[in-house]
Amino acid sequence: MIITENKPWEEVKQALELHHVKNVVIVACGICAAKVGTGGTEGAAKMKSQLVEHGFNVVTTAVVDEPCDERMTKQAFRKIKDEINEVDAVVSLTCGLGTQAMNTVMREKFPKKVALTALNTVFMGETERFGVYKEGCRACGDCILNETGGVCPITHCAKSMLNGPCGGSVDGKCEVGDYTRPCGWIEIYEALESIDRLDLFLKVREPRNWSESGHQRELNMRDKPAKEEGGDIHD
Amino acid sequence: MTELKTHSNLMKAIRSGEFVITGELEPERTSNIEPTVHEAIEIKKYCVAANVTDNPKSTVCLSSLAGSYLTQEKSGLEIVYQLTCRDQNRMGLGAAILGANALGLKNILALTGDHNACGDMPKSKPVFDYDSTHLVKLVREMADKRSIEGLALDDDCPDITIHVGGAANPNANPMGPEIMHIQRKAMAGVEFLQTQVVYDIDIAEPFLKEIKDKTGVPVLLGIFPMRGYGVAKGFDEMVPGVSVPKDLLAKFKAVKKSGFEKKEKNEAYRKLNIDFYVPMLKELKKKNLVAGCHIMAVHYPKIFPPLLDALGLQPR
Repeated sequence: MIITENKPWEEVKQALELHHVKNVVIVACGICAAKVGTGGTEGAAKMKSQLVEHGFNVVTTAVVDEPCDERMTKQAFRKIKDEINEVDAVVSLTCGLGTQAMNTVMREKFPKKVALTALNTVFMGETERFGVYKEGCRACGDCILNETGGVCPITHCAKSMLNGPCGGSVDGKCEVGDYTRPCGWIEIYEALESIDRLDLFLKVREPRNWSESGHQRELNMRDKPAKEEGGDIHD
Repeated sequence: MTELKTHSNLMKAIRSGEFVITGELEPERTSNIEPTVHEAIEIKKYCVAANVTDNPKSTVCLSSLAGSYLTQEKSGLEIVYQLTCRDQNRMGLGAAILGANALGLKNILALTGDHNACGDMPKSKPVFDYDSTHLVKLVREMADKRSIEGLALDDDCPDITIHVGGAANPNANPMGPEIMHIQRKAMAGVEFLQTQVVYDIDIAEPFLKEIKDKTGVPVLLGIFPMRGYGVAKGFDEMVPGVSVPKDLLAKFKAVKKSGFEKKEKNEAYRKLNIDFYVPMLKELKKKNLVAGCHIMAVHYPKIFPPLLDALGLQPR
């Protein structure tokens, strides 16, 4: 899940002023941000009252399932096109993906308008319980979970070490965060120990290959041949 | 087995089997290297080499490459150039190693480096493209195969005559992952180890035994002679995972409160350090578990002569 949090109100207000916005439409994510509470009907209602309280005019609110999917956003915007035409901007309660997808659609359908985000996207996280999330994956593109007891060193180790732990681990805790968070490499050790595979811990792992992930990545499965090793990649 | 090439005084001393002493120097947030050079000159007779730190504790200081070169040139003391993976990627590290070779440096201590978040520039981008194991491997690749990640060095490049060391943490808890971490560095080709500060022989001994049994890499045990109660207390409070033993700290405090003249106090601190460290070092030396001692007495060069004397070692 993509974890988002609210931007401080002052920052939202400054963004609205920067773009000379008075009248808005709120569009909120119905999936990840809805679960976190920053989006969905709950997040949209909170944002609406805040905007109204500060003198902004909210023409309508909409909750879109998967606003990160340009097709879904396009469909939703079609339904509220009159309202969008009427306002100065869309206030987005989605992760960075949703806001960018909205802006992509708007450049095509409402070229004079902009979607302004009221959220910060913080990480891809696992849900521990409601309201408690933990970053779990950096989408490095070269998953080694099968060798590390199912614990990701790129994410769990503050230095993303591939051969840890470092000297900053004290009693199983990491120097980053003032020794409150677990050292990822101690977690890996314990996970491998419990399945009797400490031999995997001893492996010297090569440095990460950044050639494919040090820039914006794209994946086009349509242009690939239908059959590849391991099966059909099409549905 | 092929004959090992020895390029540095440090490796020569380690391989000769003599009890090796190294020191530690910290350039600070200034382009003035003179205080570091002065300290190097003071300890030169008492150690075979000294480390020059690389933005220690993630605080911005004079570059360790420049500091290592200038200190070695001006003092005549061989330097162990500390190089961390925090501030540059593999391209920067490879370039730094070529630079070190061009500048006549003979030893590198390959470190991952403290995280930026713990230092004085927490907003800086942590690099960590490599970790210490990768860096050990790179130095060995450049020295043994004349290439950088498979890219051949130019034909006119002199041989890379640099030895590579690594850090080891006897205070690690749990110990298992740290031992395996050191085993990996050994597989990567690390030639010597310098440990973090250790105060307790009961911690040091089993750790050193494990390293000896599992890797055979020579170890210089890290100690931290403390020049006064303030330093001892600061270290005890500020360095996570390492505590100054309570009775030792109490003795330092007693000296501070003693009402002695400054000179007498210094003498008393000196004696406390020697009485504490020398028996531990002698015991580990006797058991053949250490190749020597890494004395991290930054800004306390005066401890070297009496410490060496108590260890029965001659000035160089």
